[in-house]
Amino acid sequence: MRPGQTMIAAWAFAMAALVTFIPANLNPILIFSVAGNSQENLIITGVRALWMQGFQPLGALVFFSAILAPFFYLASVSYVSANWTLQLRLPFAGAALRLAEALESWNLLPVFAIACMVSVVKLRTLGTVSWEPGSLWVLATAVFTMLTIQCFDRKCAELYLEGVK
Amino acid sequence: MTDHLKVKLSRALTAAGIILYIPANFLPVMTITLTGQVESLTVMGGVFELYETGLVPVAAVVFLASVVVPVVKLVSLSWLLGLHGSEVNQSRRMKVHLFLIRIGTWAMVDIFLLSILVAVGQLGILASVQAEAGALFFAAMIICTLYAADIYKTHMIWQQPMPNST
Repeated sequence: MRPGQTMIAAWAFAMAALVTFIPANLNPILIFSVAGNSQENLIITGVRALWMQGFQPLGALVFFSAILAPFFYLASVSYVSANWTLQLRLPFAGAALRLAEALESWNLLPVFAIACMVSVVKLRTLGTVSWEPGSLWVLATAVFTMLTIQCFDRKCAELYLEGVK
Repeated sequence: MTDHLKVKLSRALTAAGIILYIPANFLPVMTITLTGQVESLTVMGGVFELYETGLVPVAAVVFLASVVVPVVKLVSLSWLLGLHGSEVNQSRRMKVHLFLIRIGTWAMVDIFLLSILVAVGQLGILASVQAEAGALFFAAMIICTLYAADIYKTHMIWQQPMPNST
């Protein structure tokens, strides 16, 4: 593959991940029930529960690494690689590239997807668990995110943006 | 920030990570209450419980992510930073550093797991999951090692030792 060709793939994967990220956050991941009472779980529910129990730093950490960082990472990667793919010269692409670099190791959605699976196994021992559509969206976002990280060529983006200046 | 300062900061974060590792593993991470039965679990206790329910692959994943990864990170970070500036094993050190960055985030599995369990454990007296102090130490330890590996750049392995730095 020619150098830079993967940038087009990175653009496609980042956009796909951004799209699946929305239903992943709006749909419940799983429903847990004990003796007839049930509780829905979205990504944000865990953040809220940790916050309410007095563990604000943990709530903030989960919010940052499972919601904020993935969103801004994917958004900035799509912005930067759109420059390359469409041969555009969009403003602030350099800043977007630096943001993508800073957030790359904080984009923990694949880790979150694994945690979802483990939690279902764990909850089975306590009550009844059922998967909800949100979990599939989380999985899809996680896969697209990993593909984005694989394809996004930082050096290539840097060189292209330098050539623009 | 100069490279010299980066090395110092990275060393400080690794030291902090080693200290935080102790309470992170000895204090309970969560308390599960199910129909009146109260149970506090440490990180290792959670792995053991998964293992006892017969789910060996899942237990193995959690064991790798939240027990093995932090230890490997702390040990190899100390090794990398201890040898900084010397010419021993430079290419092997580079490989280790790249590997560290790759595996670094997996320890977060435990924190996410906790957030999901806490979220569903809001059924009053029937079932509740409460986060415990150990989780704070655990999260702090992960953040320290993440930053330590991030600040120390791979190219620094090849640098000549600074005057008056050891």
